[in-house]
Amino acid sequence: MGHPVIANRDPVAAGGLPGPFPVGSYAAQLKRRLQEFARVQLEGEVWGVRLSRARVYFELRDAHGALPCSMWRDEFDRLGLALADGMQVIVGGGCDYYPGSAASSPSFSFAVSELRIAGEGDLLVALERLRRRLGAEGLFEPQKALPRAQLPRTIGVVTGERGKARDDILAGLERRGWGGRLIWAFAPVQDRHAAPRIAAALRELAATPEVEVVIVARGGGSLADLYAFCDEALCRTVALLRVPVISSVGHHTDRTLIDDVAAVCCSTPTHAAEAAVPVDCAAARRALAMSAARLRDHGRRAILHRARTLAQLSRAPGRQVARHRERLHQLLRELRAAARRRGDEGTARTAGHLRALERSATRGVEADRARRARELDRLALALGAHDPQRTMARGYALVADRAGTPLGSAAAARAAGDLRLRFHDGEVPATVAPEEPA
Amino acid sequence: MSEPRTYESAVGRVEEIIRRLDSGDAGLRETLDLVREGRELVEYCASELDAVSQGLEELRLDELVARLEHPAEGRG
Repeated sequence: MGHPVIANRDPVAAGGLPGPFPVGSYAAQLKRRLQEFARVQLEGEVWGVRLSRARVYFELRDAHGALPCSMWRDEFDRLGLALADGMQVIVGGGCDYYPGSAASSPSFSFAVSELRIAGEGDLLVALERLRRRLGAEGLFEPQKALPRAQLPRTIGVVTGERGKARDDILAGLERRGWGGRLIWAFAPVQDRHAAPRIAAALRELAATPEVEVVIVARGGGSLADLYAFCDEALCRTVALLRVPVISSVGHHTDRTLIDDVAAVCCSTPTHAAEAAVPVDCAAARRALAMSAARLRDHGRRAILHRARTLAQLSRAPGRQVARHRERLHQLLRELRAAARRRGDEGTARTAGHLRALERSATRGVEADRARRARELDRLALALGAHDPQRTMARGYALVADRAGTPLGSAAAARAAGDLRLRFHDGEVPATVAPEEPA
Repeated sequence: MSEPRTYESAVGRVEEIIRRLDSGDAGLRETLDLVREGRELVEYCASELDAVSQGLEELRLDELVARLEHPAEGRG
């Protein structure tokens, strides 16, 4: 591409330079020229990170110079990196120039299209990106939700045929005292080309009905060596398998993606074998024997205890009756004693009442007798006053016929003829003398 | 419909039964039933342990697949 504006102008008189040119045209030419620079990777230290809605700005510096950089915000966000001042990064991109306008300032920047943390390498960055994506899809969970048999009869193992992992797994299983069926699925475990073979082996093991758990193991190595276990297709395969997968790949500093999606992640193949068989068979046998003994004891004790109880119950009625009889006798004795106490108390109380009555009666009779005596005297006096005897004593006489019938008149005396005159000291017979004519 | 029996579920149930018996709250009938159930589970667990104590049997997946695909040859 040529530079028509710049090349075709005649030099100005002063200083012999071409132009003058419109600055906007020059700026546009400059932008095009800068964009022609080769796209490269740069390494440096991040400084002055500034996030705007559309772009991310920062400077990339080293001991000898610096460059303003910018990146589209959405591209930056997709990386999932937290950029901070002082961070050593590698950026990929090319030069760019914003020519500005009458109202805005121009600016130069290195347009960043790729960015990664320096030192960890491409693999680690890609791995982190994939890890975030798989995690966001929820693929770390399904394996962990699978039930794991404590005592599997059949275990599948995917590992290298000549690797040390094989011996380690056997040692781990032996330590558990486990002697079931082990199905080896040998596969290359060295590089990313091994991933499809490993995935195929896993699928075949999972398709074998008796396989209850699968171990994927290798003895470690650099992250590049372990990259096979970061393969996206392999990780997706593992995440969706029906059997739990126990991974033992690499080590803590280089955690592979299969470690994240697997049901369990172990640091060594030996541990993976022990995780596949959580039960120590010898210890389990001892515990089982103890359980059996305790069950026996409980059964025997229950029967003996109940038998004793029944025997006691069978003897109980006689003792119960005797106890009741004794109790009844006791009650009877108490009842009698109570009745006696009650009678004595009653007698004493009655005697008291009698004495009180006597006292009261005595007082009443005396008074009544005096009163009656006085009354009698009074009546005697009254009667005495009317006594004919007393009247006859004073000289009066009672006239009666011979039969003794009182005669109350002279005519009656005359008629009777024979009279009896009763004086106070005796009777005198009398005869009515014939009346002399007057 | 009950869950299929597994070694771990059986061991868990045996422990539960022993706890119940240890509590002394179970009557005679329940005790005898629990003891019977517990013995049966212990026998099951023992059989499971026996099954993985017969000595390690190692197979290769490719051989196993071949045997499954061609059972006659496998037997021969």
